This record gives sequence, structure tokens and C-alpha cells, in this order.
Amino acid sequence: MISALRQISRPGSAALRAARRPAVPQTALRASLFARTLVTKRYTQDHEVVEFDDASMIGTVCITDYAQSSLGDVVFVELPITGTEVAQGEQIGAVESVKAASDIYAPISGVVEEVNEGLADQPGLLNKSPEDKGWFIAFSKDLRNSEECFIGWLCKIKVKDAAEIESLMTAEAYKAHCES
Amino acid sequence: MSRLPPIFYHKFALPLPYARTLALQEQLHAFQLHHRRNSANHKDILLMLQHRPVYTAGRRQISTSPEVEAEAKRLQGIGADFVATQRGGQTTYHGPGQIVGYPLLDLGRWSPPLGIRDYICRMQKTLQLHLSEAHAIQHVPSDNTGVFLDEHTKIASIGVQVRHRLTTHGFSINVTREPLAWFQRVVACGLADVSAGCIADSVLDTGHAINTDIDIRHEMEGLAERFGRFFERDMVELDMGTKEDVVEAIRAVEEDAQQAGDWLRVPTS
Repeated sequence: MISALRQISRPGSAALRAARRPAVPQTALRASLFARTLVTKRYTQDHEVVEFDDASMIGTVCITDYAQSSLGDVVFVELPITGTEVAQGEQIGAVESVKAASDIYAPISGVVEEVNEGLADQPGLLNKSPEDKGWFIAFSKDLRNSEECFIGWLCKIKVKDAAEIESLMTAEAYKAHCES
Repeated sequence: MSRLPPIFYHKFALPLPYARTLALQEQLHAFQLHHRRNSANHKDILLMLQHRPVYTAGRRQISTSPEVEAEAKRLQGIGADFVATQRGGQTTYHGPGQIVGYPLLDLGRWSPPLGIRDYICRMQKTLQLHLSEAHAIQHVPSDNTGVFLDEHTKIASIGVQVRHRLTTHGFSINVTREPLAWFQRVVACGLADVSAGCIADSVLDTGHAINTDIDIRHEMEGLAERFGRFFERDMVELDMGTKEDVVEAIRAVEEDAQQAGDWLRVPTS
């Protein structure tokens, strides 16, 4: 049973996302932006959250709001290398805060397509988990000046088997897990 | 409401080589992961020990970078080991005269699970309370993790790794003056204007009328007791007479430490 968030992407809507890089070309905007996509959000026991877009087969991995608040201020993020093949449950990086380095695990199997380079300079972005606050971008004519575009995602994984998503927890199950 | 099982602690007698002890931590971590998957009879453990002189780096410091490699060479040149680890925090020193504690706990045992910030906080409070209760030493508050006697003197450090809610690495607290000369050779914990303090020095400063013959094993008992208080768990000394996997692994490390012989008291240059 799929518990899905059906989002219709519109220009200027919260669903638009772009990596925070210098001189982002306009072509970084994906074509799927203007089509209807099915986005499924699932959670792991180790507090990773993945937003899976079945059109692009990309799962965007973040840590949950619960995780970032129980960690404290993030001072360092270790990310996987683009192109690495990862298996569900495999260690793909770490997050450091208050002298504690906490391992992060791949919620789904696939190939790492992109990592959030912005975290190297601003590890604290991870504390601004997109979970509650959502993705957003301040739309401006010149995409390079969209400084308000903060995004606390870790990496994007190109998924092979979409069915793996179903093995993860829904938001309700995750909430129960945190409170148990 | 069921009570949580005790934390089993063990005090090592001889200073241990770092790499061998790190291997022990990994072994015990693997036992915990395995037992947790299969039953729920995994034990929470607190190891207390001293190391032979060693400098260790944390996860942020890339062991193959030229800076870290140069530093490793320099420090090995003065008679210490150098090991890159996966814990949080930066370069620090461990050696005789400093108590190192490795709580190997399952944070998921608590209901709800113990958060990392909370875990670090309780560990820090354990060290602060030990200093004040056992030695009338007051710490000063700090934004930095660890325990400070004043803004330029650090007496205890914390650096931890968490995997699937299982903790490794832990804390260190300087008891005698022996570690101090070694600390002078590095910028520890990335804090350039901070130097190391120890219990022995502070006790002399306060003129506190106690027996200045500081006994390391006695200190370890005090730390274990206070650890139990902050984590709300009974602390039980591990029975080394059994044949269980944890006990055999610890015994092997103790035997290796005996073979290693004597250690360097001061840096060679």
C-alpha cells in the first residue's frame, strides 16, 4: 500500500529544488518539474528519510528532524563519493556534532548520483532538515542569486528497485518508533 | 515497568596499546550487534583503562592528507604511537596517568532511545561530578565539549562514535602530571590557547587535605559509580571467571599488555 504525496510541480512552488553551487546553469532544472510526479517519503530506524520520485527514480536522502535535534549542532558531514554503488543498510557517511560521529546508512540501494557539496562549508545546513520546513527556493530572475535556497539534503541515489521503498517505515510508523 | 539491565564494567591494570584496544572495541561492538539481532542478551559495557603513549586523530582529519601524515611522523618521532580513528573530535593524547573510559552502550535500550546529545551530556556530568565530589575541584562551563578548569585549562575530553545506536570510544580524564608533557607537543582538540590540567595539580592548588597518593583504580571505581548515577543503571563489575565471548576478548588484551613490557614516561625530544 503506497502512502504517497502527490505533488504537482509549478514554477515557484515548493517542489523546485537545485543544488547550491556557484554558477548553476538553467538546465539544472529537471524536465520532470513541469509534469506530475509521485513522491514517496519513507523513514528508516536509524533516522534517515528518503523522498523518492518515481519518474526520475531518484531518492533524496536526509536526516530526520528528530535526528538533527537529538544530535545537536552539526559541525562536520562525511558524504559518499558520486558514482559509488550502495546497498540498502550500508554505511554511506557520517555526521559529527558535540564530538560524536554518527554513521549514516543508505535507506535504499542504488548509485550515488549527487552529493550536497554545500555541506562541506556549511554543515549546519543539516540542522535545517527539509522535513518540516519543506524545500523552497526564492525565485529570482537570475538563478545564481537564489541565496535563500537552503537545503539540508545529504545525497541523491539513483534507485534500481523501487519496491525497496516499501520496506521502509511510513511517517506514522516512524513517529511511533521515536516515541517507543 | 521493567528495570534496565546493569552496565558491566572492567578496570584494566596495565596500560594498553591503542590499536589493540581499538580492535577490542570493534570486537565487542560486533558481539553486541550480533547478539542484539539474535536475542537481546547483549551486554552494555564500560571499559576503564590507561593507554601507552599515543596520539589519536578523529574522523574529520583525513589520515592520508599531507598535514596528518606529517603530524603522525613527527609524533612517532618523539616516542608515541599515532592512530587515526572514526570518532568525533580532533587530535588528542592518551597515556599513563590518564584514565580512559569506553562506554559500549546500546542507546536504544532506553525508552525512548537515548539521544546523542543527551548521552554526551550525561558523560560530561559524570566527569564534572567526579571532580567535585571526589576532589573538590570545580569546573567552569564551556561551549566546547569536555571539562575545563578555566578557559585555558582542559582536564577531560570526550570523543564518541555511534553506529546503529551502539557507542564506541568515550572519555578521558587526566589524573597525574605524566600526560602533561605529551599534551604540550600538540594542539589538542583543535584548541590553540588551551593546555592540559590534571587532578593531581588541582588537588595541590586547593590545599585540600586529602591523601595526595592518587590511586588510579580507586579513581576508576569512583567514575563507574557516578556513571551509574547519571545513566540510572546499576554498575556491576564484569565477572572475569566466565568463558563468554566478551570476557575472553578482554582477557586476550590483558595478556597482550603484559607481553608489551615497559613504556616511555616522557617524550624523547
